Amino acid sequence: MQTITINQKEYLYGHDEVISFAEGLIGLPEMRRAVLLEMNDFEPFRWLVSLENENTRFIVVEPEQIFTGYERFEKGITASENLQTLAIVNLSSEWQKTTINLRAPIVINAETKIGAQIILSESDYQFAETLPEI
Amino acid sequence: MLVLSRRTGQKIVIGNGIEIEVVSVNGEGVRLGISAPAETSIHRYEVFSEIQAANRAANVDDGQVEQMALENVLAHIRPRQK
Repeated sequence: MQTITINQKEYLYGHDEVISFAEGLIGLPEMRRAVLLEMNDFEPFRWLVSLENENTRFIVVEPEQIFTGYERFEKGITASENLQTLAIVNLSSEWQKTTINLRAPIVINAETKIGAQIILSESDYQFAETLPEI
Repeated sequence: MLVLSRRTGQKIVIGNGIEIEVVSVNGEGVRLGISAPAETSIHRYEVFSEIQAANRAANVDDGQVEQMALENVLAHIRPRQK
């Protein structure tokens, strides 16, 4: 097991959990290897942390956890049992200004741990979707 | 920047596997046809730069703000969850 420290908190991960992004993320081509870490106190949010640079990290969430009607297959992502879809959260100190990027999700093959950030060209979702109203 | 002149139907080649063809020209608009390996991603620049900016903005760098902000978001969304 390896450890990684975020905000003075240590997280453990195994080599088999390392995700490969052949092209990095969009605008971040250097982010080739990353791990997904559970944020226990803040479920369903998770960390996606670059292994090249621990200061490159994102808060991500499975869109279905927040957007109850989110239908990833209708939005252009190929149907597969093994695909995990994650959306990047852009946090703001005011929750009303917190947004989630549903238009360019990160897709990870759970078996091969190969990931990519894709752009859904035929989608009504936004790059900065605000949280749904209760 | 390399600037080339091409006519309708003519192409340029980038590297070993990328071909760009001028399909048609109509006033200020140009239609381009692009052939590239499947692993090469192709985006309109505006879309690419919008996501690039969104990714950079979402990169977390302040642990203090982040914890409070997450608590606020969770207080809002938790009632929705099963």
